[in-house]
Amino acid sequence: MTIKIAQLSCGTEYSSVQPEIEKAARSVGAKVVYPDVSYEDINEAVRRFGFNPRSPQLKLMIARATQLADKRYDADAVFISTCFRCAEAALVRNELRRFIQENTNLPVVTYSFTERLKASQLLTRMEALVTIVTRKELLARERQVGITAGLDSGSSTTKAVVMENNKIIGKDWTPSGDVVKSAETVLENALREAGIEFKQLEAIGTTGYGRFTLGKHYNAKLVQEELTVNSKGAVWLADRQKGEATILDIGGMDNKAITVRDGVPDNFTMGGICAGASGRFLEMTAKRLKVEIEELGALADKGDWRNAKMNSYCSIFGIQDLVTSLGEGKSFEDVAAAACHSVAEQIYEQQLQEIDVRHPVIQVGGTALITGLVRAVGEILGEQPIVPPNAQYIGAVGGALLSSGMM
Amino acid sequence: MRVFIDPPNSMILYDLVERFGHEPLSSMAAIQEMIDNLEVDMPPMNVTIDDVVRGLAYAGVEVPSGIRGRLAVWGPLIDAADAAVIMTDAPFSFGCVGCERSNEMIKYLVRRKGIPQISVGYPETAEQAETVVGMIKEFLEGLA
Amino acid sequence: MSEERETRLFMISPDSKLTPDQLVRMVHAMGLEATVKETCYGCLVEGPRELVRTALENVRKDHRYEVFSKVRAYPSSDPRRCRAQHGTRPGYAQLEAEWELLPLIQHALLHAEAGRPYKEPEEAKQFPVDDFKKMCEANR
Repeated sequence: MTIKIAQLSCGTEYSSVQPEIEKAARSVGAKVVYPDVSYEDINEAVRRFGFNPRSPQLKLMIARATQLADKRYDADAVFISTCFRCAEAALVRNELRRFIQENTNLPVVTYSFTERLKASQLLTRMEALVTIVTRKELLARERQVGITAGLDSGSSTTKAVVMENNKIIGKDWTPSGDVVKSAETVLENALREAGIEFKQLEAIGTTGYGRFTLGKHYNAKLVQEELTVNSKGAVWLADRQKGEATILDIGGMDNKAITVRDGVPDNFTMGGICAGASGRFLEMTAKRLKVEIEELGALADKGDWRNAKMNSYCSIFGIQDLVTSLGEGKSFEDVAAAACHSVAEQIYEQQLQEIDVRHPVIQVGGTALITGLVRAVGEILGEQPIVPPNAQYIGAVGGALLSSGMM
Repeated sequence: MRVFIDPPNSMILYDLVERFGHEPLSSMAAIQEMIDNLEVDMPPMNVTIDDVVRGLAYAGVEVPSGIRGRLAVWGPLIDAADAAVIMTDAPFSFGCVGCERSNEMIKYLVRRKGIPQISVGYPETAEQAETVVGMIKEFLEGLA
Repeated sequence: MSEERETRLFMISPDSKLTPDQLVRMVHAMGLEATVKETCYGCLVEGPRELVRTALENVRKDHRYEVFSKVRAYPSSDPRRCRAQHGTRPGYAQLEAEWELLPLIQHALLHAEAGRPYKEPEEAKQFPVDDFKKMCEANR
């Protein structure tokens, strides 16, 4: 079955990125389609939508979205994309995303591109769109059964979890090095803790950047992108399988914000302009402050970000700010708090503007263990996020949980 | 003479320029050059990253890529033009002329070049259409 | 290739009695080595540039004010712009909109080629703010 992804976009063909979009879609078994519209449809749709952009291609996007909302065109998912730095398009992109979500059940992903966009950057997003469409039943799974393992091969750390009958019985993590060797180490340790032999495992699920390599190495039953897997792991760990929630995962290299309804993801954003908005920046901060990353959160808890100016839009400039603050004699506590605040601020400005935040917010991933960061996110959102136990194992738990549905 | 038309994909302007004895410079011809290039496989239009970079000749790097890519296609047409016919406020400007910022820039580039040009409004009535066609005819017949 | 191939659309004004079928037969009857494809608005003619232009000249001899034309970038049935592959191409709405304007252009062309004068365009003037003020004050 070929999944039809309706593309609503402006500028892709003239930015040399259209072939990349189609390549990414093809590689996950999907096809890009454009809803049919007539000239009269465009005028009518713009009148009805109520936002009249000057650029005709944006009007066309509105008309195409209306066709989907009115179920006059059949598609399985929606990809909304416009040029990075175009203000008019950014407004339309976000409002159309909201419009589609209010009027259809289609999963949507939005993306603003430059001419440097490559298919690989879209792969995880496209894969997640396809997973949401094709694996609805699997994603609805709430309980883990049998004995299964999940492996999360992330950009910073590799995690393994062994589960039996809906309980975590073994777990381990290590900084990512060689994809296979790191995974072998953590899986071995998790199995040892669980008192289980490798051959007793009934299924393995892999996720994260190294998922394909590990999937092949272990002949995994489930090889799936981290957006859907992590969201399942998060709602399982937080025991929020029913109702709505927003999963916030500030990763080592990129960030994810995923909204879920009854445990099934329906919208997500992924990215970050620069490592400045990711866990990597906090690692750099800890290194400069000569503390372990595990200590950074507690240090930040004692400080006040208002006392040290920091802007981590770019990790290089962010570190410059940090050095300047330390040079001015600011306390380590205030600088640590400012670094956490800066990352949280960027998550708010970049990620959370592209989805409608649903409550509660569940903060997960290794960075959720940095208490100062969780506090900063809470301050900015006006609501303290829930941090479930084992928050750093979401991907591995999601892998173990979902793979048990494929035995 | 080579006459640039704006909107550059307008059938009506293309037809009128040709009808009154000149060579229209249109986006269709520019795109044909690109898509007939068998050495490039970037469907649907064969616009490559090199083209978008070439667009820097017309707009800086802070300008969205879609505008630079468009200007890379149309800029050379304006460079080659001896005259221009521009229709303002045309409600039809879809497809390759979908970005209003690029469209504004094209009008400006024509003006900056200083070639003979005529700007007519989009006709809503028979009388306005007579004016538009009459003015374009006179302009084109007056080109040496 | 570009020097050789020309794909040209011939669009019939909605005010004309000519049908796409009649237009296609007319082009076929010219015996040119060009392919002709009937469309909802008229036809697409594709072949060596000289032949396609000959077809245009011949059509204009009989239907000067009813048939309009422009070149098209993509060859006929090019999969890169095929409706069956992706849905309508972005320029389709443009063609529809221009088609709706053709009766006015057709009429205006007849008018212009008959040597009749046209009315100079009037600049739309905004209502002077002083007059507006007076109007508001008068109704106080």
